[in-house]
Amino acid sequence: MKRLSLIFSALLVLSMVLSACAPATPTPAAEVPTEAPTKAAPTEAPTEAPTAAPTEAPAEAAPATAASLPRKETLYFNGQQWGPVVCWNPYSSNCNNAMAIAQQDNARVTMFETPYLYNMLDGKQYPLLADGPWTWNEDRTAITFKIKKAAHWSDGTPVTAEDVAYTWAAHVKYNTATGAANKDYIDTIEAVDPQTVVIKAKLGPDGKAINPLIVAAYVSSNYVLQKAWTQKLEERSGGDPAKFMADTAEDVVYSGPYHKYFADDTKVVLVRDDNYWGQDPSMWGKLPVPKYLAHVIYKDNAAGTTALKAGEVDVSQQFNANVQDLWLKDGLPISTYLPDPPYNIGASLPTAFFNLASYGLDQLAVRKAIAIAVDYDTIIANAMTNQSATFTQVPRSLMNPTPGEQALYDHDAVKDLQWTGNDVEGAKKLLDEAGIVDKDGDGWREYNGKNLHYVATCPNGWSDWQAAIEVVAAAGKKIGIDITTNYPEWSVYQTVVTNWPLPETGYDIFMMWSDGAGPTQPWGRIRHLMSSEFAQTTNNWNGNWGGYKNPAADALIQKIPTLTDPNEIKAAYTELVKIYLTDIPSFTLMYRPQSFHTVNESVWTNFPHQGDGTNPPVPPLDLTDGWSIAGLYNLKLVNP
Amino acid sequence: MKHTLQQIFRSGKFVTGFSIFTALLLIVIFYPLIVRDDPLANIGQGTFFPPGVYVNVYDSINAPPYILNLSDAAAKRVASKLGNQERKDLKEWLVAAGIPEDEIDITDTAKLLDLWEKNYDPTKNIPGMTLARQRYFQRLNASLQGILSVEGITIANPNPQTGALEAVKTVQQADYVNISQVPNVRVLALGTDNFGRDVLTELVKATGVSLQIGIVAGIIATLIGLILGLLGGYVGGTVDDIIMFITNLFIVIPSFVLLILISFSIGQEKRGAFTIAVVIGFTSWVWTARAVRSQVISLRVRDHVNLSKLSGHSIPHIIINDILPYIASYVVMALILQISSGILAEAGLSILGLGPRTTEVPTLGLMMNWAMIYQAQILGKWWAYLPVLVTIALITFSMNLMNTGLDQVFNPALRE
Repeated sequence: MKRLSLIFSALLVLSMVLSACAPATPTPAAEVPTEAPTKAAPTEAPTEAPTAAPTEAPAEAAPATAASLPRKETLYFNGQQWGPVVCWNPYSSNCNNAMAIAQQDNARVTMFETPYLYNMLDGKQYPLLADGPWTWNEDRTAITFKIKKAAHWSDGTPVTAEDVAYTWAAHVKYNTATGAANKDYIDTIEAVDPQTVVIKAKLGPDGKAINPLIVAAYVSSNYVLQKAWTQKLEERSGGDPAKFMADTAEDVVYSGPYHKYFADDTKVVLVRDDNYWGQDPSMWGKLPVPKYLAHVIYKDNAAGTTALKAGEVDVSQQFNANVQDLWLKDGLPISTYLPDPPYNIGASLPTAFFNLASYGLDQLAVRKAIAIAVDYDTIIANAMTNQSATFTQVPRSLMNPTPGEQALYDHDAVKDLQWTGNDVEGAKKLLDEAGIVDKDGDGWREYNGKNLHYVATCPNGWSDWQAAIEVVAAAGKKIGIDITTNYPEWSVYQTVVTNWPLPETGYDIFMMWSDGAGPTQPWGRIRHLMSSEFAQTTNNWNGNWGGYKNPAADALIQKIPTLTDPNEIKAAYTELVKIYLTDIPSFTLMYRPQSFHTVNESVWTNFPHQGDGTNPPVPPLDLTDGWSIAGLYNLKLVNP
Repeated sequence: MKHTLQQIFRSGKFVTGFSIFTALLLIVIFYPLIVRDDPLANIGQGTFFPPGVYVNVYDSINAPPYILNLSDAAAKRVASKLGNQERKDLKEWLVAAGIPEDEIDITDTAKLLDLWEKNYDPTKNIPGMTLARQRYFQRLNASLQGILSVEGITIANPNPQTGALEAVKTVQQADYVNISQVPNVRVLALGTDNFGRDVLTELVKATGVSLQIGIVAGIIATLIGLILGLLGGYVGGTVDDIIMFITNLFIVIPSFVLLILISFSIGQEKRGAFTIAVVIGFTSWVWTARAVRSQVISLRVRDHVNLSKLSGHSIPHIIINDILPYIASYVVMALILQISSGILAEAGLSILGLGPRTTEVPTLGLMMNWAMIYQAQILGKWWAYLPVLVTIALITFSMNLMNTGLDQVFNPALRE
């Protein structure tokens, strides 16, 4: 009985595992861009669709339902939306609504719009709702910009300066995430006339703006929302901030080209508003090409990759390991922004932080030895499958690999401080010279008679980070420092690393992210990596989790936003890079793109790619974030 | 004893299972003695290198060359870059670029390449051609550069003073090296995995670790089951009631669910291979306990047991001398099954990401887990997971075969 059941279960396990592996053999069928995916979800009820768009023009009565979107009018995404959408309320930061809401450096402008669009490729802000560039007043304390006359809401009423002002007032009144992050730097936002907005910066004791950078970034990272709708929401929530932010806002008024068509726990679909103001010649002059933006909610990366291979996904924002195999081996019509490694443009710097309170890690020699012994080429080749520039290509600093940021510091001045890694002999020598040697002959070095033993850690399941941490641990073993790895669940990990003090063991070397590309960068990233304002604090979601303090760095970080002379700025950044590479409070392990951007050209083509001739260049941010939305207007069908 | 062993080894099933198992065991023991590499060393910079013989390029350039004039060498070289499909693709591009179709002869390599070189322009935008296709042609064009050349390749070194390249030697197209004269040749029979580790070396080590986990788990489970079964069965009464109560409780809870919960609550920092083995052992003793108990119940009323009781022997004495020998064959069979199910349980746990920590030792389950995380099954990197699957299957298959063989020998009802 037991034997039978065992054999049976063994067979069952085997057959399950084998069947899971079935797609491994590349089938020729995958090459045929079929219409099949559109019929993938026959069980979905399209009943929600009519209620979703009460203000929609009757043209909306198209034959399409959410269950069968016409493939040639739909652009499919993956890697953005995980789990079902909670709400459509742009004041909330818990909507889990990745297709419509993301107020960030490269704001997602499919449904709601910002006055300006940030372009990470040239570092400029281009007007969207705004008319022409914004201007500082003479003493750099206030920003003025105009709203386009053509801009109107989905209910037909015009977008006015009053909407901008009221949105800010609501953010402050209800202390939303946007309000909390900006109210120390922005004093008021006022409507001078229906078209003109003035943003007044908070002033320091010297009468200068505390942080002009953050004020200037506000215009491209935060949505403008309708005053009338906001008032309706306030009325509904009775002034209760919790209710205000928890509202699902199904009736929200928007200004963007898309809005909700369908959403459940299997997929999210946005549909184009054919009455969108942007078809006015003062903006795009036309409507974005795809009628629907659809995002099927996949279980994990593997499911997403399978769908991408099958042509069921057009734009993929997820880490596809060995992405080049998709075109080199499988011959699929799939490509990335760059034809060769690193395939995408690196924007953020995943970084390993030293817990400076850990035993021995207060010693520079130990930190430096570990940092220079790590084999970064292996991290990049294995963990990132070459989807990152190497440190020979882009020498380490505090800057991301974009040309704009690279030009911000003096490369020659810090040349001697930059390391490319795998310098085991150098690391050993450094430790020997510092007197940190193995005296008791157990193979591990001691500092003041105590073995150096560290735990390197990152969240469980973050596979590329885990693989990177493994390489860090291997480097320690090579230089006589015992580093083991540990992967707690994210829920545990995040509470531990964001709350000082860190535990005595288990979090000696740990990985976290750093900022990507945006209008405040690289200043914002440097602040988050080095500023002592975040050191040894609790509920710290900003950075400097290792507890690093250096007054010289703080002074520079405080000074940079107020500088205007490019030479002074460059000198200050160079000095910061020097301090960072000398003190080594943390060290970058790889470069990572702002978004992964892999496209399948089975149905759509003319996606942004290097040298695509667009001017200004369209960045590879999935055609939804910041200036990359311009790419939606350039798409073409492969077989019209 | 000798007779029993003879009987056992006469069973075909047992011998087959035993041979497979012994072969695996011998590999696990002797392979590390021959290949002394660290099974967890990241030797490959890059993921999933395919199986094959890797010859050091630098060393082969410096190895003594032998000239072999093989007539089909050039044709093979061309064919590796320019197969039928590539020829058709070249034609497709040329036609799209406006070259009359009848001027293109895809069978004449020289003419075709000449036409291609004259006309191909990587920046030319052909209407309706996707970016992926354009990049394909750019790659194809790059790979065709110099394909018809009959010259050798010059190896040059930069002059340390001037930086100018100075020719060191020329490698001719007809040059061959004898592989035995290249100092660095590495056979990666099963390629590398996502960390760049040698899969074969890792697999052998992992098989060893998984067997250890299975054996530890199996012994623990069998011991617990045996002790509880013996006690419950022989002592009976309240002791039996209590033991049966616990056993039944555990039967109702699916042991794998229990296993998942326990491993999860232990936390990763404490999950070594041994801990996992112990956890598996402590969750899988139930069936053994029940089976042993029922055997003991039927044994305890036998004459020889009663005789022993009358002689005033103590309970432990009776259990060890009069009961245990009669169920020994069953216990051995149960142990074998427990070992194989222990190995399966570890694999199952590790696939769910609840196995032992990665850095210390490889296990079969962990290898599967990482292969899955890096999407080996989607990308067709079969060498990262298929050998692991086959190994798991072989271990459990051989053990079940041995078990069936033993059963046929010991179970009178099955005897032929």
